[in-house]
Amino acid sequence: MYRRLLFIGSALLLVVILFAWQQSSRAPKPISLTPTLSGQPEYCLTCHADLPEISKSHPLQTFGCVSCHGGERLALNADLAHSNMRGGANPSDLSVVEMSCGGTSCHSGSEAENRDHIQRVMTSVQSTYAGAIANIRFTFGAQPDLNAYFGINAIKDEQTHTGITALSAFEPATETNSMIQKFGENCLTCHINAAPREEEAYARQTGCAACHATEQHKLTTAIPYTQCNACHNRGNYDLRSMTFVERADQPATRIQDYYQPIAQFTRCEYTLDCVDCHTRNEVMGDGDIHANQKDIQYVQCQTCHGTINQLPQTKTITGPNDIALKMEFLNPVSNLKVGDTILVTEKGEPLWNTRVLPNGTYELIGKATNLRFNFRPVMGTACEQKPDQQGSQYCHTCHAVER
Amino acid sequence: MPELSRRDFLKLTTNTLLTASGLLGFGALFRFLGYQTEPLPQTEFDLGPASNYPIDSRTLLSKIPALLLHTDEGFSALSLVCTHLGCTVEPKESGFTCPCHGSKYDAEGSVLNGPAQKKLNALRVEVTTDGNLILHTD
Repeated sequence: MYRRLLFIGSALLLVVILFAWQQSSRAPKPISLTPTLSGQPEYCLTCHADLPEISKSHPLQTFGCVSCHGGERLALNADLAHSNMRGGANPSDLSVVEMSCGGTSCHSGSEAENRDHIQRVMTSVQSTYAGAIANIRFTFGAQPDLNAYFGINAIKDEQTHTGITALSAFEPATETNSMIQKFGENCLTCHINAAPREEEAYARQTGCAACHATEQHKLTTAIPYTQCNACHNRGNYDLRSMTFVERADQPATRIQDYYQPIAQFTRCEYTLDCVDCHTRNEVMGDGDIHANQKDIQYVQCQTCHGTINQLPQTKTITGPNDIALKMEFLNPVSNLKVGDTILVTEKGEPLWNTRVLPNGTYELIGKATNLRFNFRPVMGTACEQKPDQQGSQYCHTCHAVER
Repeated sequence: MPELSRRDFLKLTTNTLLTASGLLGFGALFRFLGYQTEPLPQTEFDLGPASNYPIDSRTLLSKIPALLLHTDEGFSALSLVCTHLGCTVEPKESGFTCPCHGSKYDAEGSVLNGPAQKKLNALRVEVTTDGNLILHTD
């Protein structure tokens, strides 16, 4: 009996040792990278060497993978290596963005250094969806006015310039009105915290990547209108049924694709990309909580074209620390340099992809297309538009394009 | 040839299995004890004979990365690691530029414009008794 047990035991021991040896031999030979930023080796390239570099500002040799993605840096087993990644494959998801992209030297530094990207995005209407929530709650009698009280997530802004110091988290399940509940169920995919609707036309990621990741593992500030259209101009919400109704037309050209069929527009509104005119404060927020998109979006035709009695605002770049130069550095389409004069918005934001030409006309270079457009001010032309009527609907009266 | 009894067969097989297990176990033990951890980053670089670097020369050492300078006052070196986030800066006509975030430094490594706040690190250069240059990055 003793010998038989010894025999079985020794056989089992050998099997266990062979299994362990085989498992250990199957592990891939690690490819090590020690990024400058962390100074700690990581083995992610063992499996992920084929991914493209994410951007010129985040080179692999400097950042590695773990600084942004998290994960178990020395693990060679996929499950273990990925076990504590931030935001799955998307570290810019707003639930983890502070850990991944934050830090005073990166994207949550001071407003004075224009490094407060995360604070601005977190309080922006793209993230809070505060205006839509307020409108629906007001419409169905859940609040007495159109003020913003709720956002997708609770958020505070103690240094507010808008008077809105905080938003509570919107919780549709606690609402008593069934339409507001339905709004919560069907209409909360249009903010950058939310996973998009299914179907290719809506494909985007969450967080920063919702706008800046136009390809897999690529970040850019050269954002084409198609990226914006993953959310915008895809359809309308039917307030009677509180459901989303997709646009039914089949756009075949850019002019049809850009806007929904009901919209009017001028040539530059569909030839340019959204980011050619709309500024980063309009799109990413200005650091304050706003109650509505119209409270933050302010660029109009007159921003670039002026009015019949006023030229658009301009500024000359006087030093190398100008924010316009820093923005152009990220997407060098216009070879901007100290001494150049560019257009600025009514709030002083630089339209860094423009330039005032010696003959008094202006040039705009498409941030995503690299195309050059020459245009002139309204002043001195036959235009009779009243200076106090500068909404696009007034300009469309003469300049709308037939389609 | 004498026939092997069942008992002897079991004994022989058991001994063989135990020997194999023992050898594999020793192999695993040696493998464990001989495991090489990731080497620490190199902090000393032998640059060869000092005579290879004439006076007034500026030598780009891209693998380190650093810039070796030889002036009347002797040898010195600047780290080319940007003090903002650690990208490798590129030498330009009048200084250095970071390709990642646009920091600019003058020829002495002082910051001309950010986001970097600190000048490029000066590195220690040692001339050995046999005339070789050793660059220290720590």
